[in-house]
Formats: sequence, C-alpha cells, structure tokens
Amino acid sequence: MSLVEIKDLNKTYGSKQAVHRLSFGIREGSCVALLGPNGAGKTTTLQMLAGLLAPTSGSIRFNGLPAQADLRRYIGYLPQQGAYYNWMSGSEFMHYSGQLAGLSKKEAVQRTNDLLDRVGLQEARKRKIGGYSGGMKQRLGLAQALIHQPKLVILDEPVSALDPVGRREVLELLKEIRKEATILFSTHVLHDAEAVSDDVLMIRDGELVLSGTLRDIRNAHRQPVIYIEEDVPQALQTWAIEWERLAHVTELSYQDGIVKLVVEQPDEVKQQLLQQIAQHRIPIRRFELAQTTLEDLFLKVVSS
Amino acid sequence: MRTWMLMYRKELLEMARNYKWIWIPCVFVLLGVMQPLTSHLMPQIIDAAGGLPEGAVIEIPPPVPSVVLLETLNNFGLIGVLVIVLSSMSIVSGERNSGVAGMVLVRPVRFLSYITAKWAGAMTLVTCSLLLGSLSAWYYTELLIGDLSLLDTLYGSLLYLLWFAVILALVVFFSATLKGAGPAAFLSLALVLALSLLTGMLPAWMTWSPARLTAHAASLLTEGQLLDLFWLNILVGVTMIVVLLVSAAALFRNRPLVD
Ligand SMILES: Nc1ncnc2c1ncn2[C@@H]1O[C@H](COP(=O)(O)OP(=O)(O)OP(=O)(O)O)[C@@H](O)[C@H]1O
Ligand SMILES: [Mg+2]
Repeated sequence: MSLVEIKDLNKTYGSKQAVHRLSFGIREGSCVALLGPNGAGKTTTLQMLAGLLAPTSGSIRFNGLPAQADLRRYIGYLPQQGAYYNWMSGSEFMHYSGQLAGLSKKEAVQRTNDLLDRVGLQEARKRKIGGYSGGMKQRLGLAQALIHQPKLVILDEPVSALDPVGRREVLELLKEIRKEATILFSTHVLHDAEAVSDDVLMIRDGELVLSGTLRDIRNAHRQPVIYIEEDVPQALQTWAIEWERLAHVTELSYQDGIVKLVVEQPDEVKQQLLQQIAQHRIPIRRFELAQTTLEDLFLKVVSS
Repeated sequence: MRTWMLMYRKELLEMARNYKWIWIPCVFVLLGVMQPLTSHLMPQIIDAAGGLPEGAVIEIPPPVPSVVLLETLNNFGLIGVLVIVLSSMSIVSGERNSGVAGMVLVRPVRFLSYITAKWAGAMTLVTCSLLLGSLSAWYYTELLIGDLSLLDTLYGSLLYLLWFAVILALVVFFSATLKGAGPAAFLSLALVLALSLLTGMLPAWMTWSPARLTAHAASLLTEGQLLDLFWLNILVGVTMIVVLLVSAAALFRNRPLVD
C-alpha cells in the first residue's frame, strides 16, 4: 500500500520548469532513492513534499489523511544545506526541534540522547553548533529529522557532504531507520541508491524518466556489451567507425582506447569481430563480453 | 500555545546569548541618567566652557522635574527607536536567509505564531529596557532636581511603550516581507519619521495618528492631562499592530521559504 501519492506535480520558476508532471507513489515501509544529476529537480521535489514550497500545480496526498491535513507532523526533513541556530548546542537544538514537533520535554530529551548516540554526536552534544564541522552538522540534521519518529523521512542528499567513512556510517544508519519509517532520499550517486534502497526514481530536467524496484530496472534494461581494448594507441579508431555499421550493434563508443559495443545478438557479433581481428591482426589487449550495469543505464539516462 | 511559548522562550534565550539583554537596557539606562545629570550640571558645564563674559548676567532657570523626564522620553523616542530598529531589523529575514526558518517551519508550527513570538520576544526586551531607563531617569531627577511623581513617570513611559510596539510591528512586517535587513530598517525608520513629522505639521489631519501617543505623554507630564482623542490613538495603534503582524505572517507564508 502506498503511503504517499504524488500526482502531476509541477513547479515553475519564472519560465523555468523545475519539476514537470511528476507522478509517483511511495510504498509504506520502503526506502526510495530519488536519483538525478545536478539541477534535475530533486531538491525542488523534496521541498514540495516537505511543505516548504507550494507546487505550481498537482497534488500530494498522504494515505488516510484528508487533503488539507497538516502533513508536517508526519514528516521529518533534512535539507540539502541544513541551517541551525549556531548559538545553540547540539542537544539544545534537538530538544527545541522535538518539542516543536509535539514531543514533551521528557520525550525530547530521551530521543535526543538516543539519536545523538546513533549519529555519533554524543561527545559534541554540549558544544555550540557554530563550532561544528560540515559533517557534524549533517549528522545533526539527520538526527533532528528523526526526532519525532516521523512516518516519512525526507533526506536531501544525506551523504554528499560526508567523507567515505561517514558515508558508510550514514548509509548503515539509513538501513536501520528503514525498519521504523518510510524513507525518501535524494542522491546523484547511483552507488548510494544501490546500497540501501528498494525503489529508485530517476529524474532528469524535472521529469521522471525511470522508476521501479532496483531489481526490475536492472533486469529490464540489461543489455549485452562487448568491450575491446586496443594495445597500440589509436589502433581501433578507424575500426570503431566500421563496426558501428555492423548488424545488431545498437550503440558504440570509443573512449580511452576502449571500444564499447552494446549489441543485440552477442554471439553473432562476437564471431564477426573476432574474425576481423584475427584476419587483419588488429592489436588488441582485451576482448570481453559483459552486461550493461545500472551505472551505464544511469549515465545514459542522465546524459541523453 | 505550547509551541508559541517555546518559540517565545527561544527568542528570549537568543537575545541573552547575543548580549542584547545587556547592551540595550544599558543604552536606555544611560539615556535615562544623562538628561537629569546634564540639567543638574548645566551651570558648571557653562563655567567650564569658559564661563559667561564678565558682567553678563543671564539667569539660567532652574530645571523643572517633569520637563527633564519629558526630554528623557524624547531621547528614548529618537535614539531609543534607532537602537530598537537597528537591533531587530533582521529579526525575521535573518533566519529566513540563513535557512533556519525553514528548519522551524517544517515543524507543525503556525506562521502567525512564529511571527508573533518574535514580536513578543523583542517587545519584552524593549519593555524592560524602557522601564529601566525611565526608572533611572525618575531616580536621578528626584535626587538631583526635584520632586517627580513616579506614577506619572510610569504612565508616560507606557504611552511611549505602545508607540514602540507599533514601530516594532512595522520592523517585523518589513523584515518578514523584504529580503534584506537594510531596506527593512530604512523603510521602518522612514515611515516612523514621516508619521511623526506629519503628525506634528498637520495636526488637524493627523488626529488619528498613533504618533500622537508621544504628544499625549508630553501633555500629561506638563499639563497634567491627556489631549483629545486619546482612545482613538490607542485604538489605531493596537489595530496597526494586529494588522501588521497578521499580514506579515500571511505574506511570509506565501513567499517560498527557500530560494
Ligand atoms: N529559487 C529558484 N529560482 C529559480 N530557479 C530555481 C530555483 N530553485 C531551483 N531552480 C532551478 O530548478 C532546477 C532544479 O533545481 P533543484 O535544486 O531542484 O535541482 P537538484 O536536482 O536538487 O540539483 P542538485 O543536485 O544540484 O542539488 C534547476 O535548473 C534550478 O536552476
Ligand atoms: Mg539539490
């Protein structure tokens, strides 16, 4: 059952269409990655979901709640660039956020302890936020988004500002959180999405280009590829042009001395290629049959 | 109401952390002490400045306590207002520009609560500062110049306080609707100045103006009675505060919280 339904969401800034006819649902209990390159409209989408930005048109409905209900109660939000009261200490900010979200003072203190522990800020909790590093602020932002045990946790690039270790820690944390809440997070790194999410939504120029579970997408878009690496510089340059015209080759690229062919009948194409290579003694170092990865698909989606 | 109190207390705490609770009362106390002191010391000051030419006999009338207090209140109305406006010009825009307003308003918080808690927080500081200033003025006037009714002092101060409340609502309004702190301060000061000047120059046209509150205070202190249309001015003042705060919240809500 879906927790949130988004229908025909639009946002225009002047003449710029930042989000265009976006429709999707978020299943209760799932972890969804909103994937897209810079400027794709991820932040804009999440801000509308969090209630910070009014959509130009379209609707956002929470299941079981009337259309005019104050959704903010059920949402925890981490903005891409979190801002805090620098004069407060970490735990003061957490107490304040928790109480604003409706917790009693006692509950807020308890949750603060628990969460600051989990994000690794227990030691720094009494220090002023003004003295926190960027990564520490990011963790604090994550903790404050979770303080009131929201139904839906919206995280805008939760790991982008972190070092590799912090990145892994936060991804682990997300895995834990997803037992308790539904998560929607944005990222422009496919790897992050693969690490924790069940579903992905890929957007480009404000439009949804691909969505579904990771597995379905991977299976549906898997294609055979052949990689051929040259042994002498430029050796494959002219051949690449030739091979592009072969039957069953849908796509060819030549970069850094490697020819990459996306093909339909791998066996047939392989035979032809190997024959030519042997016949003309083309100097190659590697010949490999493989499958396109999600990364390839993502890059294609993003750059086309 | 609970979230309102939370935000209100946060305002008070913030003003303590950035020392507003120290320096703004200090300014008012200083202004309060200065007028009685200079009035008292006027003869010595003139002497020290070279004195009067030989043979010149100029009577310096002894200062009148109520007039000294009135001059103090006048200073509050000039320098005090400047301090109030400049210290609170980014009261809303500051949080909005830094993005922290967004962190608060993703919580189930009413925009009107957010705005009014800010106004009330600043108002608390202004009230305490003004009362401290007036009490110091009263104390030093009693000590150095002559008898002054404490009740009249408080009454006159309260009239100024209402005028300050209008000014603060104006600052909150501009701070919530404009991006920059500078323009908000400038517009607030320009409007206050225009209202005060017009009220002084066109008394017949401006009988409604809340800027007359200061004139009521003057009349009360020197003549012992208020001017006409006192309640009209109170009513217009209070209405202005309500309208400004409510529309600040509405306009703030309709502008995206993020850029
Ligand atoms: N306040 C604004 N005014 C005008 N245009 C805007 C505004 N905010 C965003 N845009 C435009 O809308 C588009 C989507 O922006 P958005 O911030 O949602 O992208 P994003 O996917 O979050 O990118 P990034 O990965 O860089 O954070 C961009 O082209 C951006 O220029
Ligand atoms: Mg973004």
